[in-house]
Amino acid sequence: MTIRLLMPALVFFALGAGIPAYAATAEENYRFHCAQCHGLEGKGNGINATREMPVSPRDHTSALEMGKLTDADIINAITDGGRRQASRASCRRTENTFKNEIPRIEGLSEEALQLQGR
Amino acid sequence: MRRAVYLSAIPVLAAAIFISTGAHAGVAEGKKAFEARKCASCHQVAGPAAEKTIKDQLSKKGPELWYSGSKFKAGFLEKWRADPRPIRPLAYNSVTERNTGGHPMLSGQEKADVAAYLMSLKSADVKPLGIQAADNPKGRIAFVRKHSCYGCHQVRTRGSLVGGFSGPSLAEASERLNPDWVYAYLSKPSVFKPVKMMPVYAGIINDAEMKGLAAYVGSLR
Repeated sequence: MTIRLLMPALVFFALGAGIPAYAATAEENYRFHCAQCHGLEGKGNGINATREMPVSPRDHTSALEMGKLTDADIINAITDGGRRQASRASCRRTENTFKNEIPRIEGLSEEALQLQGR
Repeated sequence: MRRAVYLSAIPVLAAAIFISTGAHAGVAEGKKAFEARKCASCHQVAGPAAEKTIKDQLSKKGPELWYSGSKFKAGFLEKWRADPRPIRPLAYNSVTERNTGGHPMLSGQEKADVAAYLMSLKSADVKPLGIQAADNPKGRIAFVRKHSCYGCHQVRTRGSLVGGFSGPSLAEASERLNPDWVYAYLSKPSVFKPVKMMPVYAGIINDAEMKGLAAYVGSLR
């Protein structure tokens, strides 16, 4: 159940084949880049989710939370860190690393969302 | 008179030769000690960065040291080697497991030799720009407000440690880090750490802000 809800986030990181420097599965990318704030299970309870953090990391397993986001919001969160200043700063790692893969991310995200009936 | 001048120069020359020989011996002996203790099984000491994938990074057991002479301030390594308290709150490469310490401790001449060896490992990509450690408004705003660096790096504020845990602590960075290296690390991340958890800021932070940030990080106590 958790993994199914987490699939959109995981799929967005399924960038391996075309990126020599970061060849990795979606799960590897998620665990490496996102888990420090969002937690290994994506519940928003990563090790950096301290009270000093300006905003709480989003719970990627929450259908309610994820339902608030459009495809563009999610892609933006990955490539530019999202709408909020604090997450813009801490999530934006992907803009440089994955910038050439944005069309592919869009394709994958749309596919994932269709699979989930969104 | 001339003879007296010659005689007085002998101790000075002897001291110079001793210091010079001692420094070289320290590096060579430190390399031997480093190898004998198998430190390289955890720490990469030959550049350039070799990791290309997340798997490569996760297979590493400890931070790379091939640019440690450019990264650390003189005296830091020797001091740390005598009391190796964790710099990283978490175990290397982990996002859950606490760093319980237990790094091998060195003492005496071996400590000095290994420190001399590690400080001899330099990167040409760290230019001697002379960035001075300073608590400057531009750097502080970048660190605290614009990029929330403390979200991953602990800092000391009013005597207390605050901040996230996934990155190395920056409390007492003023004793540890060369601001020129901080700038190089931020501006050329692929040289030092091509696969890393930290966001890439090159191309996002402008040069002046990056230098201000490096100066600020270098001032943290």
